[in-house]
Amino acid sequence: MTNIEIAATQSTPAISADAGAGRLTMRGDSYPENSFAFFAPIIEWAERRLAETGALAVDLYLLYLNTSSVKAMMDLFDLLEAAHRAGRRVSVHWYYDQQNLRVAELAEEFKEDCSFAFEIIAEPTAG
Amino acid sequence: MNHDDLRLMRQSYDEKRILLCFNGPFSQGLIEEIGNALRTYLASDAATSSALADVFACYIEITQNIRSYARSRGYDDAAASATVVIGRNDEHRYEILAGNNIEAADAGPLVARIEQLKVMDKTQLKTAYKEQLRREPTPGGGAGLGLIDIARKASAPLSCSLRDIPGDSRQFFSLRVVI
Repeated sequence: MTNIEIAATQSTPAISADAGAGRLTMRGDSYPENSFAFFAPIIEWAERRLAETGALAVDLYLLYLNTSSVKAMMDLFDLLEAAHRAGRRVSVHWYYDQQNLRVAELAEEFKEDCSFAFEIIAEPTAG
Repeated sequence: MNHDDLRLMRQSYDEKRILLCFNGPFSQGLIEEIGNALRTYLASDAATSSALADVFACYIEITQNIRSYARSRGYDDAAASATVVIGRNDEHRYEILAGNNIEAADAGPLVARIEQLKVMDKTQLKTAYKEQLRREPTPGGGAGLGLIDIARKASAPLSCSLRDIPGDSRQFFSLRVVI
């Protein structure tokens, strides 16, 4: 399985998908015009990783998501939820700046629909 | 335009406490650049991190909706031209007003949708949002979530208006959101 490395742009997050470590990391804002097209390869990667090895850890440092990115993220979490119910080892850690409450609220709303390990972690404000 | 026109525009911008105004067709690049400027203005205006996030989120949803609508109807730059204004109202709350041309046939359903959202409380809006999240994407490629998301972030019910455009079969739709 290949790794994926995508650099951040103004409207898309930096993404790192490490097949060996079974870790998917996303960092930054996400409001591309076509979120479905942008996230499709990531979701496909996660699907293959779960099918091949059955474990996936997702680390998120996401900030603002437009609604179509929210939908894409829900598709990813649905995938993790199904894998979890099938006995796979999956987790999400969502880190946010403690001053940025809107990010925590967004993460909380996702967490409501997930029964796998989903942690929302406040970090001290940088600087 | 003459010098007095400019002075009157300036006077009006000051009186209405306008932070940012754009008139023209949006591209994704412009949406990002103006969004960047908006974040900078809001930060220097001492907006709280939550107000800044809400204004930015509404700005993105509105402008991306306008752009995707104009594309779905095949509008040229003149027809796709939109007007977006962000300012503060008398209670010092941020407000976003945005207007664009729409087909007369699309006006009824859009206004009906906003009327539905206007009477929902925050709990009902959250339920509507989660239901829409589970639906298939709209033909335009959007998630169909934008307006609900905007209504959730607003501190007052959304308001909208429709006006005829002289010599044009389209109508001018405008939306007002108070954060």
